[in-house]
Amino acid sequence: MTLDTAPPPVKQVRRERPTPPRGPGGASRWARRAPLLPALIFLIVVTQLPFVATLVISFMRWNSLDPTNRGFAGVDNYLTVFTDAGLRSSVVTTVVLTAAVVLISLVLGLGLALLLDTKFRGRGVVRTMLIAPFLVVPVAAALLWKHALYNPSYGLFNGVLTWIWGLFGSQNPPQPEWISEMPLSAVVASLVWQWTPFMMLILLAGLQSRPMDAVEAAHIDGASPWQVFRYLTFPHLRQYLELGGLLGSIYIVQNFDAVFTITSGGLGTANLPYTIYQTFFQAHEYGQASAAGVVVVIGSMIIATFALRVVSSLFRDEVRS
Amino acid sequence: MAGVGGAETTARKVRWGVLNAVVVIYALFPVLWIASLSFKSAATLTDGNFVPREWTLDNYANIFATTEFVRALLNSIGIALIATTIAVVFGTMAAYAIARLDFPGKKLLVGVSLLIAMFPQVSLVSPLFEIERSLGLFDTWPGLILPYITFALPLAIYTLSAFFREIPWELEKAAKMDGATPGQAFRRVIAPLAAPGVFTTAILVFIFCWNDFLFAISLTSTERSRTVPVALSFFTGSSQFEDPTGSIAAAAVVITIPIILFVLFFQRRIVAGLTSGAVKG
Repeated sequence: MTLDTAPPPVKQVRRERPTPPRGPGGASRWARRAPLLPALIFLIVVTQLPFVATLVISFMRWNSLDPTNRGFAGVDNYLTVFTDAGLRSSVVTTVVLTAAVVLISLVLGLGLALLLDTKFRGRGVVRTMLIAPFLVVPVAAALLWKHALYNPSYGLFNGVLTWIWGLFGSQNPPQPEWISEMPLSAVVASLVWQWTPFMMLILLAGLQSRPMDAVEAAHIDGASPWQVFRYLTFPHLRQYLELGGLLGSIYIVQNFDAVFTITSGGLGTANLPYTIYQTFFQAHEYGQASAAGVVVVIGSMIIATFALRVVSSLFRDEVRS
Repeated sequence: MAGVGGAETTARKVRWGVLNAVVVIYALFPVLWIASLSFKSAATLTDGNFVPREWTLDNYANIFATTEFVRALLNSIGIALIATTIAVVFGTMAAYAIARLDFPGKKLLVGVSLLIAMFPQVSLVSPLFEIERSLGLFDTWPGLILPYITFALPLAIYTLSAFFREIPWELEKAAKMDGATPGQAFRRVIAPLAAPGVFTTAILVFIFCWNDFLFAISLTSTERSRTVPVALSFFTGSSQFEDPTGSIAAAAVVITIPIILFVLFFQRRIVAGLTSGAVKG
């Protein structure tokens, strides 16, 4: 049913802007769109129908453990989302987590991209190895950090501390309990490890699309490497930094794997996706979980709109040049 | 750049050295560490040695002896392959339309599917859970394949349309002039040129499906359709008195191997695909 109502806006736009004069008849105009339709219909059915369901449920009083007490709740669920201390703190955690991961991985990614931007033997190999963290299965990566790196008795970090202290003849190296002492930083570090390669790839593409003649001219005119970076490279990279930041934000806001695996949302690391998951599957508060879901959708759509604008401006540049 | 020869080579050597150190410490150390843990016997697991003192394959033997892991591996491979195939077929058609055909409203359609790519998965989990339970899809292969296709499709469309834009389409016209039917022109001329792009996209989509955790943990409840990442998070060792770290390390190595192989064999294409998909949109 919703399927029938979904396409019309698209149709209207098409009517407003008719095909150019050389355009063929109506039937063949539809034939041109035909290859796109299966994908589009699929996308709309699987994402938008459930989303409509979420919207409806978000205005309902619905706890599956209490099936008789089900009904229209107005905006109560939304009020809960914004007033409940647990949910509010998870909003804050989400923002802190996302901002920290995106900023740190952008800075590190920029450093690596600048290093990789020069031609040297084995550059391909280095680049491949550097993107490995991005391609490791996220749950495996989170488990890797939790068990192989952070573990107080046999983790790599404490092993390295023991080794360094051992070099100086000390028998009592510090052996911190990484996850319980700094839970949020532990999650941030593992995500930064995974996302830096992604930022590096985007920034490297930016560096390599830089007009080299201007850089050479600046060198000949006696500009220092820092001046070249500050006045030529950085302004050119700004768009790519924005793009990396926005795409990174969209995905890290949604992060679930790392929080679930490393801390199980404990110790103040529960972000919104984790809280929604918990509200739904453990507290069975369907109404509240849906309302929180709608809030996440609105937030992501705002970021995504900005991301789209950056993508399309990059694309225009490419066409123009 | 007019650098003095000697100075430049020294600078290069320094840069090369720095890079080597960075790469090894950053990317490989953690990965090698988990590989090393997976080869350690239960007694030496906690000794903190980088190279195992006693090499053993027990951890691998243990995980492959449990149906929990083997079944999950089969589920993961089957679900990811089916979802990839369907997403790439639909995605190729859509990307062809976007790259090749001109029609009003195209931008809007592209925008809509981009927005869907960025749609937060967690807000779909709860309704999908309810819908799939009432349709009997909960805890089945199709129950996971459907959401995977949905989120893989936009990825496939962008990567593919970036590749398709580079194809010299005049060749198609030339083939038609020489008397080929549209079908023949597509099969004989365009398909071979498009194959590398399609192949790269398939790898990226496969990795995406293989890596998913949120849908897999929310929409499954038994071994019947549980995928490897979920099975991994439920790992408790072969007996309850045993520390599961050895098994976790072994399982993590096993599920990461296919991805690493893909990357090693197809690294140039994957990097091209990731960057073109991300930057050219």
